[in-house]
Amino acid sequence: MPSVRDLRDRIKSLKNTQQITKAMKQVAAAKIRRAELVQRQARPYADALGEMLQDLMAAVGSIDHPFMRPGREGAPLGIILMTADKGLAGAFNSNVVRAGETFVRERGSEVVYYPVGNKARNAAKRTRFETLEAWSLSAHAKLDTARGVAARVTDDFTAGKISQIVLVAPKFVSMMTQRPETRVLVPIEGAKRDERTGPRAAVEFAPSPEAVLTRLLPKYLEFTLYSAMLETDAAFFAAQLVAMTNATDNAGKLLDDLTLAMNKARQAAITKEMLEIVGGAEAQAG
Amino acid sequence: MAGKTVPFRLITPIAVAFEGEAELVIAVGTEGEEGILASHAPFLTALRPGILRANVGGDGGATKRLEFATSEGFLQALPDRVTVLVDAAMQRDQIDTAAARTDLEAASERQKQLSPQTAEYAREQSTIDFAQARLQLVG
Repeated sequence: MPSVRDLRDRIKSLKNTQQITKAMKQVAAAKIRRAELVQRQARPYADALGEMLQDLMAAVGSIDHPFMRPGREGAPLGIILMTADKGLAGAFNSNVVRAGETFVRERGSEVVYYPVGNKARNAAKRTRFETLEAWSLSAHAKLDTARGVAARVTDDFTAGKISQIVLVAPKFVSMMTQRPETRVLVPIEGAKRDERTGPRAAVEFAPSPEAVLTRLLPKYLEFTLYSAMLETDAAFFAAQLVAMTNATDNAGKLLDDLTLAMNKARQAAITKEMLEIVGGAEAQAG
Repeated sequence: MAGKTVPFRLITPIAVAFEGEAELVIAVGTEGEEGILASHAPFLTALRPGILRANVGGDGGATKRLEFATSEGFLQALPDRVTVLVDAAMQRDQIDTAAARTDLEAASERQKQLSPQTAEYAREQSTIDFAQARLQLVG
């Protein structure tokens, strides 16, 4: 049976922990709002870019762009593994890493990792596969990082160092659910044409649809990575909010139990002393 | 006198840099300068880094000339709207001259190590052009 003092010390330290988790929970909640705002601000760009891409795809007959051709046969897969820089968010980061590993196992192929986020970098280092370059998720402006990653994977893809560009990143399903998602970004699977809508009108392109598309596709890759980074950020804070809410609740439950145990121990000590006093008094009276 | 206007949006991944009615939009396309008026036929082109100018509707029907230094992007004109997508757009008062100079020098330095016709070379060129557009706009 632990002494009253032991229990009091434990309660004190647990209260400190609870303060920390509570503070982290509030910080995460504030940061989610900020991350969601940035995501919302990127939406007009996403919509406009998607619309332009659709017009182009409808207009081009055949396009000879490296992104539309299959990668070099037998080359390793290029996996962009995207996680947060920090932990304390439950299984958030390890879920992404595991999704990447599962994908690799299913394909049974060699892999080159392009980690974005410090946790992804650490995970990639532990594998037997090569990591050519790693980026931090939040150390620099996200747009610059996205551009850097896109440039690197594009160069490696065109040089035949990798056969595909695959993105493994968390998806923000809801505040409670974040799920890793695996997408093959390049080569672009058969130009997706929406037959129902067709071209809106006869669009004129300068100099030609093919030339504009050649410029637009790399931009599209860049922006896809940028918005994936924003989503990773938002999903991370949501996961951290959930994890810290649970931690605070669990600390509360444990505090209740410990307080009860401490009160019992204190009462037992008092009772014992009373018995001794009464026993002593009776002995003297006798 | 204000002429016919068209809704114009200048969009970057970070924000909508401008949204409003424009009488005329002039951008530097890969094929040269493109001037877009209202009711333009559907048109789509890629843009080089440069200075984008727009005459936009001001208060009381008067038009105002706006100038942005823009990085590479795209311009889409439709009869009922004009959309410009760029990585970055800055007005004169948003430009950091020292940062633009640093970018220019760093990119020129890196470009010297590269051979022309490579993707890296083109990327550095784009950085150089954007830095020059910023410096030109500041004057």
